[in-house]
Amino acid sequence: MGITCKQATDYILKKEEGRLTLRQRYHLWRHLAVCIFCRLFQKQNKLINASLKQHGTHDHLDEEFKETVIKAMNDDSGTEKEPGGL
Amino acid sequence: MKISKQEQSASRWVHDYSESLYGFAVQRVRDDHLAKDLVQETFLAAWRNVDNYSGEASVKTWLFTILKNKIIDHYRKASTRLSVDLHSIETAPDISFDDADHWDKDAYPADWGVDYNSQMESKEFFTVLDKCRRRLKEIQNAVFSLKYLEGYNSDEICKVLQISSSNYWVLVHRAKTQLRACLEKNWFVR
Repeated sequence: MGITCKQATDYILKKEEGRLTLRQRYHLWRHLAVCIFCRLFQKQNKLINASLKQHGTHDHLDEEFKETVIKAMNDDSGTEKEPGGL
Repeated sequence: MKISKQEQSASRWVHDYSESLYGFAVQRVRDDHLAKDLVQETFLAAWRNVDNYSGEASVKTWLFTILKNKIIDHYRKASTRLSVDLHSIETAPDISFDDADHWDKDAYPADWGVDYNSQMESKEFFTVLDKCRRRLKEIQNAVFSLKYLEGYNSDEICKVLQISSSNYWVLVHRAKTQLRACLEKNWFVR
């Protein structure tokens, strides 16, 4: 009895972590041999993984925030000598 | 080489490292305010302990290590709140598959016409990826950050987020099918 596409896609994700039994690997192999959609999912998943590891874009920090941090650090230095001041 | 506060300047640290620390944090926690809080906490924690810093690693490496620990701590502390979404994720109908658990005819994956082994370079693609990720639940993005940016395996992620292995695999499966469909609709097949 073969596996469903839902199982096959689940197996594809588990395979990334080496979590498949020999039997599951065999079932996945047999399924992928006949299912073009799950083969596409497997390839696209690989591309998505690579994209998730890449750095996205983000806004720059505003100067006001940086000044706040610097002030907090300097203020912190001032209280340092007092017991429990940290 | 040991360093002391006298040799360091708070403004120099913030000037040199705040942008890269913030980029690191915001990419992981995906929340501007939270990322800023974590960066500020990192600077303060390092500043308080600078006299105990052994100097074996560079200041930059040291700051990143502190930030990384703070991010993991954030996930650990937020795990109860994050896991509230588990039930809705697990019980929501999975529209990618039909009643027989094969691809639904409206969700058949299409060929994206790209080299699947290549890396995406386009800035616009990452904007779309970001939009698609915003449609996921926070816990699913937390899993992605821990898995793909920190390189944690499922056992480690389950421990941080205090979820079961079966919860984890449902989260990942739903997130991946949803993300794939969203990218296909909004970027590849337009």
